Amino acid sequence: MAKLEELIANEETRVLCLGNEAIARGAIEAGVQVFAAYPGTPSSEISMAMNAVAPKLGFYAEWSTNEKVAMETAFAASVSGVRAMTACKHVGLNVAADAFYSFMYMGCKGGFVTVVGDDPHCFSSQNEQDSRWLGVSAQFPIIEPSNPQEAKDYVKRAFDVSEKFEMPMLLRSTTRVSHARAEIQFNKFESNFREGEFEKTNRFICLPALARANHPKLLERMEKIKEWLPTSGFSTIEGPDSHTEFGIITSGISYAYVKDALKTLDRELPILKLGMVSPLDEQTILEFAKDKENIIFIEEVDPYLEDRISALFIQNGVIPKIHGKSSGITKKYHELNERLVTAALIKVIGGSIIPVNEIEIAVEETKEFVPFRPPLFCAGCQHRAAFWELSKVVRKNKGIFASDIGCYSLDPWVTDTILCMGGGIGMANGFARVIKDKPIFAYIGDSTFFHTGMPALANAVYNKANINILVLDNRMTAMTGFQPNPTEEIDIADVAKSLGVEYVVVFDPYNFENGKKVFEDALKHEGPTVIIMRKICANEDWRRKRRSGEKIEIFHINPEVCIACGTCIVQYQCPAIRWSLDTNSKDKKYSVIDPEMCTGCSVCSQICPVGAISKVDD
Amino acid sequence: MVETYQMVICGVGGQGILTISDIITIAAQKKGLDILGSEVHGMAQKGGSVITNLKIGKNLNSPTIPIGSSKMLVGLEQNETLRYLKYLQPGGTVITSDTVLFPITWKKDKKAADNARENIRDNLSKFNAKVHFIDAEGLANEAGLALAQNIVLLGALSQVEGFPLTVDDLIEAMKIRIPPKYLEVNLNAFDLGINAVKK
Repeated sequence: MAKLEELIANEETRVLCLGNEAIARGAIEAGVQVFAAYPGTPSSEISMAMNAVAPKLGFYAEWSTNEKVAMETAFAASVSGVRAMTACKHVGLNVAADAFYSFMYMGCKGGFVTVVGDDPHCFSSQNEQDSRWLGVSAQFPIIEPSNPQEAKDYVKRAFDVSEKFEMPMLLRSTTRVSHARAEIQFNKFESNFREGEFEKTNRFICLPALARANHPKLLERMEKIKEWLPTSGFSTIEGPDSHTEFGIITSGISYAYVKDALKTLDRELPILKLGMVSPLDEQTILEFAKDKENIIFIEEVDPYLEDRISALFIQNGVIPKIHGKSSGITKKYHELNERLVTAALIKVIGGSIIPVNEIEIAVEETKEFVPFRPPLFCAGCQHRAAFWELSKVVRKNKGIFASDIGCYSLDPWVTDTILCMGGGIGMANGFARVIKDKPIFAYIGDSTFFHTGMPALANAVYNKANINILVLDNRMTAMTGFQPNPTEEIDIADVAKSLGVEYVVVFDPYNFENGKKVFEDALKHEGPTVIIMRKICANEDWRRKRRSGEKIEIFHINPEVCIACGTCIVQYQCPAIRWSLDTNSKDKKYSVIDPEMCTGCSVCSQICPVGAISKVDD
Repeated sequence: MVETYQMVICGVGGQGILTISDIITIAAQKKGLDILGSEVHGMAQKGGSVITNLKIGKNLNSPTIPIGSSKMLVGLEQNETLRYLKYLQPGGTVITSDTVLFPITWKKDKKAADNARENIRDNLSKFNAKVHFIDAEGLANEAGLALAQNIVLLGALSQVEGFPLTVDDLIEAMKIRIPPKYLEVNLNAFDLGINAVKK
């Protein structure tokens, strides 16, 4: 990660950083004054960088409770004439959608940029949503950088374009741009912060009559961008001018794969790279395609360019042969890479690459020995502790368990369904209406509770849903990198009580005896119950202690007492515990605790059926 | 034209993969080479299987390395080395730690675990690769910091023919990246790694 002093240094310099940090620097150089965001992979490092630099550079940044609130916060800043930005992951943009669809009708004043991080391949997400479609349907101008340097440059430029046309801009990044690491050229900047000034005008009121008038104005602004696009520099054509057989149209990270694939194939072909993918630079596209026999579309996940540009061709009587998702040269799912693009191009232009048969044979011969290694709860994680007792109560009562988005999505035991942020309590509301003979459980974290859990809880109280809501309050937004959230200031128990929940209990999830009793009591209660398990994130707490040199009271296992039943290893699955590798005593198997990983949570000592586990130096 | 050096580093989340990736990146930058890396953050980091891609050279485009095209693989754990060996180009070099971290699937099935564990070296040899096995855990402990296994491997890496960065390049980068109080012990680990390959 780039250092704080590098991110704020007002000088011409080259800095090693992540694509997301480059995006933050672009916003800094553009003079952003208000930044608001909710974290989400692969966008979080933008917000982490912005929140870190804001106090140093004298602008405002916040961790918002959700993406919609973030969008609205930034919107107000923009219509007051200052530059504002928000960033979210693809599914976060859905949460903000209500705000931005109407925002587009009004247009902005101070430059406004929304950065959306799409996650082709679902590295850390529930779907592969292609946010370009959202941008198009909301009529956002969309720009798509193909590498971290371009991401930085585009963000900076986007603010100027935004102000020039009074249009909020959408910058679409993907995991491989956001989490690429490269040396980025930073430029000097001027901190000419503006005074916010709100001009009272009908423009910012979305009442029907006004919206009706605003819609054609939005379309006019879009047309103006379209007219300006061919000279904007966002569209670039490279490769041999005279070549008429093939032409490639691409954007974003796919452009990088095309460049490498052509290098591998040792071919030069005309490439049209679109930096702005909505509105389309129709003039340049038609000019590029008019003398080509074949147009090849290279893009990830959805055939966005392919579908839109194919329609453009038909409308204009330009009829090249189309190659892309429709002809199957690339798939409509998962990410691309150089090899996939090379193979796709070969299908159209011919050629050959070095076969990988030799490797494939070795992979085939060894694959049964390569163990699956899924991500797990960390050592000492209180979610594991919470789920351990809870799963027994849920199973015993044949309960339905609706979980949510967060670290707890990794539960290996009882989760029946996960839908979206805040969806656990929402779904529990529905299950309670149709599953009459079984208890209904919803599980949620503190950050997600404030994000979208609260309206669902209010719904449960109001509509008298008989559900049990379990809130694991680990004092931070852990999954995305330990960001702060309102739980620091607002007690979730108070929230639940004030919403009218009668049964509200708070306890320490490491304390099993208490937990079991609470869960069983809750089941006897009519109406919604809220059970808060409160404990600071074990992983972050452990890291802080290690950094500060604070003593961690770790546990160990007495090999003489251990009966190798596997409760701690196989069932509880603590990653700090493993079987002994003492091959000399195969007949005496036992489990051992890795002292470098143990956080001292004590849970294994509570569940060990023979009392073999105790504190070191006890 | 500088040829692009493509390498992958793999292991289990928490083993310090990003740290050595950082050090290599810094060293390449100081040397005036272009560098392009790709990593995955978020959910995959939590004790799961982790891989990073690094390209060093000039005029780099795409950040990821496809199957069969990496010159070098550094593995911090043997199962992960085996998992990601497919990214190595035939005849490429592997620096792998002897370390074996039990995945949950092995914890459940001891027989499968024994079988797989006994066959790791045999399986690694099915790939056309030059494999250096390093006792990273032992050497890191000898250096005085069990967590420095990644740095032991970095030392070993510095000795591989064709690797574009020198011992001095990497030491300079370590001085930038590693907190001063841990520098000395990490430099010890680095030296032990160098010697492990020299022998």
